Amino acid sequence: MISLNEQEYQEMIKRCLRCSICKWIPQLQIKSQKYATICPSIDLFNYHAYSGGGRIIIALALEMGRLKPSEEIRDIVYKCTECGGCAVSCKFLNTLEPLEIIRTLREKLVSLGYGPMPKQQQYIEAVKNNHNPYNEPHENRLEWLPKDIKIDPNAKTVYFVGCTSSYRRKEIAIATARVLNAANYPFRILDSNEFCCGSPVLRTGDKDSFVKQLHKNIDIIEEERIDSVVFSCAGCYNTFKVDYPLEREFSFNLLHTSELFNELIANSALQLNNQISGTITYHDPCHLGRNSEKYEGWDGDVLELMPLVSINMPEKPKRCGTSGIYEAPREVLRKIPGLNFVEMERNKEFSYCCGAGGGVKSAFPEFAVKTAKTRIKEAEDTGADIITSACPFCSTNLKDGIEESSSNLRFYDISEILLMALDSPPKSVKESSTEVT
Amino acid sequence: MTLEKKILKEFEAVVGEENVDDGEVITNVYAYNWCMEIFNYMDGKEPIPFSHAPKAVVLPSTTDEVQDIVKLCNKYSIIFKAQSTGLGPWNQPTSDNSIIIDLRRMNKIVKIDEKNLYAVIEPYVSGAQLQVEIMKFGLNCHMPGAGPMVSPLASATSMNGPGFTSPSTGHSARNVLAVEWVLPDGEIMKLGSYGLKNNPDWYHGDGPGPSLRGIMRGWAGTKSGLGVFTKVAVKLFPYPCKTDYIVKGNSPNYDFEIPDFMKLYVMDCGNFKKLKSTMLKVEEQEISFMCSFLSGFAVMAIFSNSIESLMDKIAIGRMKAPLVLIIAARTKREFEYKQKVMDYLLKKLKLENIIGKIYSPNPIFYAEALRSNLGLHGFIATGGFQSSKGVADTAAVCLRSTKSNISLKKEYAKKGVIANDFGEGTWMSSYESGHYFHMESPTMFDQTKESSVKGMAEYMERSNQLDLVKHLGAPFFVEGNRMHELFGPHMSNYHVWLRKIKETFDPNNISDSGFYISPQNK
Repeated sequence: MISLNEQEYQEMIKRCLRCSICKWIPQLQIKSQKYATICPSIDLFNYHAYSGGGRIIIALALEMGRLKPSEEIRDIVYKCTECGGCAVSCKFLNTLEPLEIIRTLREKLVSLGYGPMPKQQQYIEAVKNNHNPYNEPHENRLEWLPKDIKIDPNAKTVYFVGCTSSYRRKEIAIATARVLNAANYPFRILDSNEFCCGSPVLRTGDKDSFVKQLHKNIDIIEEERIDSVVFSCAGCYNTFKVDYPLEREFSFNLLHTSELFNELIANSALQLNNQISGTITYHDPCHLGRNSEKYEGWDGDVLELMPLVSINMPEKPKRCGTSGIYEAPREVLRKIPGLNFVEMERNKEFSYCCGAGGGVKSAFPEFAVKTAKTRIKEAEDTGADIITSACPFCSTNLKDGIEESSSNLRFYDISEILLMALDSPPKSVKESSTEVT
Repeated sequence: MTLEKKILKEFEAVVGEENVDDGEVITNVYAYNWCMEIFNYMDGKEPIPFSHAPKAVVLPSTTDEVQDIVKLCNKYSIIFKAQSTGLGPWNQPTSDNSIIIDLRRMNKIVKIDEKNLYAVIEPYVSGAQLQVEIMKFGLNCHMPGAGPMVSPLASATSMNGPGFTSPSTGHSARNVLAVEWVLPDGEIMKLGSYGLKNNPDWYHGDGPGPSLRGIMRGWAGTKSGLGVFTKVAVKLFPYPCKTDYIVKGNSPNYDFEIPDFMKLYVMDCGNFKKLKSTMLKVEEQEISFMCSFLSGFAVMAIFSNSIESLMDKIAIGRMKAPLVLIIAARTKREFEYKQKVMDYLLKKLKLENIIGKIYSPNPIFYAEALRSNLGLHGFIATGGFQSSKGVADTAAVCLRSTKSNISLKKEYAKKGVIANDFGEGTWMSSYESGHYFHMESPTMFDQTKESSVKGMAEYMERSNQLDLVKHLGAPFFVEGNRMHELFGPHMSNYHVWLRKIKETFDPNNISDSGFYISPQNK
């Protein structure tokens, strides 16, 4: 499900300049040769076809009949993390939508029987059968929940835990719940009525399955008369905020935990009493950063000023990553006593992807980990001891990257870091070997 | 046509299996490029943006591998086309019996010699990458006008190479020093001081004997028609101001902390006569970092990041002969001197700087000027543009060429096949203190409309012919046999000599000559 209609798609795929700007972070932001690139796919696979522009050419060649759908095309189109870095760089001056074109291309390949990748098809089936892509029994969804967590069944806020935190990164769900408890912030969970948000099936091009998930989730939240939904998963947050409204409107509010945590600190609901010594850097999840802008509707007119030159009245909004959730997590980290916050060279709207998105982690695990290793190296170059993020999926892949790199860096989700600042954890995270439990 | 499996295996043995691909998807993607539809139409083909697909794409990582690839091409009579960052139709194979050598994996900055002011780079180092690394030494490089994402090596060895900062960073043809060059037969040529037997280094481009730089690239470059360039030394220049470079905000709403001692002037000279004398006088003073004549429409474009924002700058667009000039300095004293010179010239020439009075650009303009991002604004209006002609000569010849093109351009704008820039769309810049200038005529068209593509191609042909009929500067968009044969007889039969060079270096025509010239007997 994308914002381009078929006519716009057909028009746009003829307009790539082959300038390769999609391979780099925005030109004006380049600060070193080492960290000048933005696209994990072309960085690893090298052939132009693996860039945003290259995939636009594939789309055009398919429409022109120069190419027929094939497994070769499928592999190239799916060896993309859909991080959207190409789109940010392209749209500094241009109006092309490389990410939207890639997503449309995936949908077309699925409809033609050439997508998704076999491994991705397995988790689509798992979502259909067990409501999570990990094929875990649905009844185990609450296994992460410690008994001492205080849940308020009458709360108007729901913590939407998400599949990855429920089954794989339980420490994030636990830390999130404990922080909310510490702030006396009433929340409830959806228990067995929480289902996969649908992001994994959407990103791999299965729109029909996605729409079913979307209705299930919106139905239950509306039935429960919930005011706000809080997410610790950037992917779930993004899917609710950006993709759901394209199919169905809803009235409840959405918040990522980093936004809520920042608010709770500002309101003094959370007291950060513990000093954490160490230097920390923050990885912007693509879903929370550049891709978390909502699609804005446009109902204007196209005014032809002269032959070949038209303007949109009013100007058509572009999703450029301008207003992603960037400051809230950084403010949280800056407020933690003793913690020295440093930026990686590629950050915010031109952050480098962790490598896990777009179905890559399941279909092309080596690609995912190689990309994570690149990001871990960048984090190491800041002098940080700790890398944090705000997405359980990034968490999994960056941890894999740390392990594969034999790096001394430590990864904690932002909720875990915050919990350490609240509780009485080890004073130096660097020296700690205990996981938050 | 596909590559025989036996031959494919030999390429794989050179670069590894993962670095050769003969699949139809990869090869078709390499068949696409910007403006290819125009060049196809000019060649009597269907106006589509695809050239011949190469039989395979090969990704070498070392000079040795490039040599082996080229030798294999010679062995099996397969034409090769080398490309680095790959923008433009010049990167396309012009035969159905070709491979593409994509030099993407050769991406090292080999050396920065900050004392002797040169850097040695491989093909896939981009302009922005080189610039940010040498900025750490307070230095700058010549950035190709195509933008900071393209390859300075390609510009220095194989293309023409004008740039927006030309008054302070010269021209690619003049900036190239020593070169490592894989000749069309696979042998290595080391140009200049790099070829010395003892203590080879990169500081000088000419060795003993006649300069081979002229043969290597001449004025306009051979566009992979005479081998592959694997390393090149390019001149470096002092960075024009303090190297503090702070971009704030999120794309596309960037803000920039304009460095101390940098000032923009935009002046309407009113007519070409005054424009010429102004440019000459300014350049004589050697004070400008950037000094370009752009049409009013083009000045609107460089200050805009969308067609909508372009249209609210009509006051600028009304200027008849705008000159865009930036002075920059590293010290207050130097800046005051340059300002005083400008104040004097403005008074003497009765010109007014509109900046700060009629218009003040977003500070990010200054970052784009420093990083040479301005050329990309040419795509804002219609999504496609190409320069229809190009002359490098005196200011008078460049302006005469500009002037004579106006009525022709208006004719095609009236037909609705190119965008109407009142016929004036021009970029003219100065080099070497005004000793020579270059002009080209950027023209906006729509690559998605066949009528526009065909009209643009027809207009380009007629625009080029104007140079023959009226001007005879040294044009730099003359490429391929047809154009050389058109221009050669009017210019000392240079094409005959060019053919002799090609035949001597590449008798079997293995290095794709489509944008250069084929050997004498082929």
